[in-house]
Amino acid sequence: MIKVKNVTKKFIKTNKKKEKLEFKAVDNLSFDVKNGEILGILGPNGAGKTTLLRMIAGIMSPSEGEITIDDLNYEKNETEIKKSLAYLSGNTKIYDTLSPYELLKMCAEIYDVPSNEIDERIKKVSKILNMDAFLYNRIEKLSTGQTQRVNIARCMIHNPKYYILDEATSGLDIITSQIILNFIKDEKEKGKTILYSTHYMEEAENICDMIIMINKGKIIATGTPDEIRKMTKTTNLRDAFFSLVGDIHE
Amino acid sequence: MNKTLLILKKELREVFRDKKSLAMMLIIPVLIPLIIIGMSALFESETSTDVNTYNKIGFNYELRDIELEILDSLEIDYSINDTDALEEKFNKQEINSYIIKENNHYVINYDSANIESSGSASLAESFLETYKSVLEENYLSNNNVDILEFNNLLTYEEKTQEQQNYFANYIVNYAFLFILMAITVSATYPATDATAGEKERGTLETLLTFPIKSKDIIIGKLLSVTLSSIITGVLGLILSVLAILYVGNTYDIYSGTELLNAPIIIYALIIIIAYSIMISGLCIAIASMSKSFKEAQSALTPLTFIAFFPGMIVFMIDISNNAILSLIPFINFSMIFTDVTNNNLNILYLILMLISTIVIITIVITYIIRQYKSEKILFNE
Repeated sequence: MIKVKNVTKKFIKTNKKKEKLEFKAVDNLSFDVKNGEILGILGPNGAGKTTLLRMIAGIMSPSEGEITIDDLNYEKNETEIKKSLAYLSGNTKIYDTLSPYELLKMCAEIYDVPSNEIDERIKKVSKILNMDAFLYNRIEKLSTGQTQRVNIARCMIHNPKYYILDEATSGLDIITSQIILNFIKDEKEKGKTILYSTHYMEEAENICDMIIMINKGKIIATGTPDEIRKMTKTTNLRDAFFSLVGDIHE
Repeated sequence: MNKTLLILKKELREVFRDKKSLAMMLIIPVLIPLIIIGMSALFESETSTDVNTYNKIGFNYELRDIELEILDSLEIDYSINDTDALEEKFNKQEINSYIIKENNHYVINYDSANIESSGSASLAESFLETYKSVLEENYLSNNNVDILEFNNLLTYEEKTQEQQNYFANYIVNYAFLFILMAITVSATYPATDATAGEKERGTLETLLTFPIKSKDIIIGKLLSVTLSSIITGVLGLILSVLAILYVGNTYDIYSGTELLNAPIIIYALIIIIAYSIMISGLCIAIASMSKSFKEAQSALTPLTFIAFFPGMIVFMIDISNNAILSLIPFINFSMIFTDVTNNNLNILYLILMLISTIVIITIVITYIIRQYKSEKILFNE
């Protein structure tokens, strides 16, 4: 279980007058993610989704508050926690001088997958994501869709308990986006816990069990998609979001 | 597998699959033999200028048979004219110098700004010195003085030490300096690629999500850059040794001098390894602080000069090594090597150099590990 407790992340911003101003990208957020659940984190660009997920993935530290994963915290158990996670963002890049096979083998070794199981796992993941045709080609020679499949394979190779997916479909074509959405559904069926951030409300509506809507670093709504629609008396999450933040022109 | 080794394996794969990194590793070592051969050929040509280019000397008086014999032995191409004609011929550069005789006084006229004319003046001086000796011997003989006894009133000789061949020291020291420069250039590219390059390509974020301690990441990266630098250094050393052996057997300026021996090569190898570790650590530290590949390359450019100039100064001016100099980075590597080539190595100074390198590299690594523990390494903007 992932527990986010009173987490705040502050940054220093320099304005045009070169004055240093403190602002909160994430402001006192608290929520839990239950095992086996897909939690959608929705909000516009700059809402604080990426900062929040980076803190959960352990590549940023909260300024205040605490994040625990299976009752472990990053200060004492960083390596242990990271072994149970897979992080994929729209910006995540992979080593393009390696072949998918070399990359997956390296990742498996990093995540301490037993050496006698590595080849079997690569075969399995490659089959699931239909990567056999380009498993030994250099990643730099692959198409965007193929590269994204390799990226997903990298996340799956160590069979993580938690997936943290930050705008993973952002900027991708419809086919590649669908590969990621199918992967999320498949992993959910296997009982994996997934944190999924997006600004595509419709996408989240289809796959998420729970939704957290954030704006300007704060939670503005939380619940199942149904609960949010009922609460805001709207028919979809897009309208729900606007009813919560007010008119776009205000 | 050990996490440091995994990072090392990944980094080495990237270095050896990247054409630019490979080019940086190999280009300068390959150029070193050409520089050694080129410099040796230049030295040889400067020290063995053809006498025919400066042996045309004019005289304003009739020469005696004994003078003609001396001119012949010195290969001087003489001509006899009046003073005005000699001056005109000199101005037209038909002769390199000319001698004017008034009674028993001789004046050598030449142009000190002209190399051929200066060489010709030296030749004219040799002629007059030889002729003067002949006249002195005749004079003593005519006055019943024993010439042998007279000449033995004072005797002297010049003796040069075989190992102190100026050109030999110069070529060996500079070959070593070029190897250090090759290592520096070789370290900058993979160090930049492994840090700022990884940040720019977006793979650093991926790496930081892996369950690897920052210590393992940094040591793995440092080892890969150090290994590439050592490969460059060893390749440079092998090619330099081959080139030095070749020039030693080809050019007369090195005749009778042992240019290289086993201790020089062994100590050069020790210094190359120490230097590679230090320069790799410094390159990684500087490049880690940069936001982009380009910024890192700009930041590392001064390091190339800092690495080269202290060494060059050490070879140019005659400084004796001491404990303090052995601790100063960059200077100490060249000082120790100079001591080795002069057969003057103090093991204490070598140990001090190694200790200084270990201390500096430990400070640098500790600093970079702290940087990688902090999110600033990824989001320093």
